[in-house]
Amino acid sequence: MAKQVLSFTLNDSETDVLVQPYVTLLDALREDLELTGPKEGCGTGDCGACTVHLDGKPVASCLVLALQARGRSVRTIEGLGRFDALHPLQDAFVRLGVPQCGFCIPGVLMAAAALLAENPHPSEEEIRYGIAGNLCRCTGYTKMLAAITEAAGVAPARRA
Amino acid sequence: MATMKTTRDVKGVGLAIPRPDGPEKVTGQVQYVADLKPRGLLHAKLFRSPHAHARVVSIDTTRARALPGVRAVLTAADIPELKRKAPTRAHAVLAIDRVVFVGQPIAAVAADELAIAEEALDLIEVRYEVLRAAVDPLESMKPGAPPVADAGTEADTSEALAHGSVAGVATEAKPSKAVNISQQAKLQRGDVAKGFAESDVVIEKTYRVPMVHQGYLEPHAVLAQWDTNGLLTLWVSTQGSFNTRSEVADVLELPENRIKVIPMECGGGFGGKIRALCEPITAILARATGRPVRYVMTRREELEAGNPAPQVIIRLKTGVKRDGTLMALEAESVIESGAFSGAVLTVSGVFLASLYLWPAFEVRGFEVLTHKPSIAAYRAPVAPHTIFALDSHMEQIARVLGVDPVEFRLRHLQREGSPMANNQPWLNNGGVEVLTRIAEHPFWKQRAEWKASGDARRLRGTGLALGGWLGGLQPTGATVRLNPDGSLSVLTGQVDIAGTNIALAQIAASAYGIDVDKVRITTGDTDVAPVTGLSAGSKTVYTVGVAVMEAAKDARNQTLEIAAKEMEASIHDLEIENERVVVRGLPDRGVTLAQIGKKGNLYMSKVPPVLGVSHPAFSQQAPAFAAELARIEVDPETGDVTLHGFVVVQDVGKAINPLGVEGQMQGGAVQSLGMALTEALTYDDAGRLTNPSLLDYRKLTAADLPNIETIIVEKPSPAGPFGARGVGEPPIVPAPAAIANAVHDATGVRLTELPLTPERIALAIAAQPAARRPAS
Repeated sequence: MAKQVLSFTLNDSETDVLVQPYVTLLDALREDLELTGPKEGCGTGDCGACTVHLDGKPVASCLVLALQARGRSVRTIEGLGRFDALHPLQDAFVRLGVPQCGFCIPGVLMAAAALLAENPHPSEEEIRYGIAGNLCRCTGYTKMLAAITEAAGVAPARRA
Repeated sequence: MATMKTTRDVKGVGLAIPRPDGPEKVTGQVQYVADLKPRGLLHAKLFRSPHAHARVVSIDTTRARALPGVRAVLTAADIPELKRKAPTRAHAVLAIDRVVFVGQPIAAVAADELAIAEEALDLIEVRYEVLRAAVDPLESMKPGAPPVADAGTEADTSEALAHGSVAGVATEAKPSKAVNISQQAKLQRGDVAKGFAESDVVIEKTYRVPMVHQGYLEPHAVLAQWDTNGLLTLWVSTQGSFNTRSEVADVLELPENRIKVIPMECGGGFGGKIRALCEPITAILARATGRPVRYVMTRREELEAGNPAPQVIIRLKTGVKRDGTLMALEAESVIESGAFSGAVLTVSGVFLASLYLWPAFEVRGFEVLTHKPSIAAYRAPVAPHTIFALDSHMEQIARVLGVDPVEFRLRHLQREGSPMANNQPWLNNGGVEVLTRIAEHPFWKQRAEWKASGDARRLRGTGLALGGWLGGLQPTGATVRLNPDGSLSVLTGQVDIAGTNIALAQIAASAYGIDVDKVRITTGDTDVAPVTGLSAGSKTVYTVGVAVMEAAKDARNQTLEIAAKEMEASIHDLEIENERVVVRGLPDRGVTLAQIGKKGNLYMSKVPPVLGVSHPAFSQQAPAFAAELARIEVDPETGDVTLHGFVVVQDVGKAINPLGVEGQMQGGAVQSLGMALTEALTYDDAGRLTNPSLLDYRKLTAADLPNIETIIVEKPSPAGPFGARGVGEPPIVPAPAAIANAVHDATGVRLTELPLTPERIALAIAAQPAARRPAS
């Protein structure tokens, strides 16, 4: 099959890239654009490790064809904050010791960032559902909740 | 000078500080195997068996080989090293003429693009003669069951050795006529028949825990490349690069020093990334093509053909006197090992017969082969399963006797020096302390109020359980160097998954006498790092921590010796303060660490470079216990369980880094809450997995859980670094029993098969005698 041009905004930069029409956005990002922050944990939209923002909304990039992003805006973990200027969520994740193996972390952060963009002061329940599409096997989610809560500037609430 | 930092108050052990690679992890910069893309990279795919048991009649790869972009298609006939009677899964690189589980690789493809490799799989034609499969382990144990292993295959006990968990228990390979029983073990003491005859209360139940997947988010991944001298480099996601090197060397019949294993960031392992799995075939594809080859398993392949935790079936019978005296215990543990031997057989028996002190016991263990993927370790292998049976049982006995369940456990719980089932003494441990501590928690003290606060549609209950791990051991090594600027470099081969490197750096800092921010720790590959054991068995900090501590002390002594000469002082009068070696009490007289470091790297200098080395082997384990407490609510109509609170109390000896310790406690607890409530690999009668996706294999999400409360208990271990014990495994052990006990408290039903799904709970409640059924 002939490759096609994908023109879109990627992490605030106008980007053109040639991609096979059958590749997913995740594969285009990882293999053609060398942005390997989004991870493939399942390839079927169940784990959330590939979460990116498409026009500001969180999507499983393994379920989106790359060419569906034509003319649209995509933000990956690489565009959330810089190494020397972390996003408040990233900063809280580091300080509170959230990452263990780290594989789910880019997806969790993108889901959390989308949540806070839409709902700057979520309840604990809203945070839990906001990242319910992101599986993590290391942390048990407790420290994630604390970090997202802190980054959102809301006081921790008890559940029971 | 009050601000001066001595060895006693450097920033080191005990500080809750984040790992230094955190920024790399939260910005997506950290590199896993699948993120590597060397020039000329080929992508691999495996053609896998659709049948659990079949004879391979013919394989035709002609069309696949002809597909443009395909660089190699290999079958067993193309691999000269392949042998029958493969002792491990790694050795059975591709099926020779019989497949023994769904998902077993039969052919391998390397192609320019992943999509081409996938297309090539569709062009491979294999004809099978489907054979009867042994799917249920209890059926598979019986004579006449279809055989799994080739006749004469030896049992694999290396997993047990790697975990070093139970010494002194003889395991016999293949003593039985039943063709699929690959290992047996027996532990026995006293007169069990007499004990039961003299018992007032005898309870017998069979507990069943299905196969579960370790659930690491990063699937297995390998990148292999050979150079023109025949040296193989492997970039892997592994829990132990030296172990990977040995296994690959054995399969490929290569000298170990011709293989370099580079451990990339490991996206979770939990025991599932100890043994080699797809490393050999990836290396063989790279050899066949002369190109770098990357292989990444799909999630479906992980679930169908990974190496999950075994199914465990435990029949447990106990007898006690009316006054609570323990009399006799009898048990059989059946551990389903799948298509290859390799289970940790003895842990179950030792816990069953040793945790509480039974005067008479007889415990048998069986490793049984079935036509399913072979199993591997999973965080405290078989311990959660065993404690699910044992602790559920202790709770039932206490309730029948009408005694306080915590007091009953405490009365009979092992103490230091009590004989274990293998006749070795229990070593120093905090079992009593964690159980005592959790019973003080408000959730436990207010369990009656919690229960009373429910109603007919919301049945409320509380449950706790105690479990632990004996602690793994493995020889290991570390070096500590003083740099010309006065900083320290620590080198091990330890794969850091959960944040152990920061803990090791803290140990180095405290042992040497310098702030941890002056310590940099590196995980080296197998060419440069000292031999380092697996990141498994709760032994990274316990064993590698000792190596780092001793190497740092060695470096400190060398530093002080050099300083003593320089300053013409006695080494005994010297102290390291504020990155200077000073004479104690005379802070103005000193030499900086940088000066000492520089002289070790100066042309024509007579001062040797400081190089601390330690490579200890270990003999003393440090058992570590956790107690867990669940506050739950059950909807009797739907059987749905809501967790309202969950508490982990764990004896960690010494929390080297409390942040990391808490993370281990929380993550371990949630893994086994999944085992308790939702997770099971389910198979049909033909041995096919019926839930091969993460939609159907249900792991717990943030929305399913409360915050996991952690309470750290520190009862120092005699041999661990700064008193530390292993931390990773204990928290996964008690949760299934704690949940089963809480469900019983809430509903009155005692469930003995995991997971405790809504369906199982609702059906059990409905089956209760009407008098005991909760009013609706």
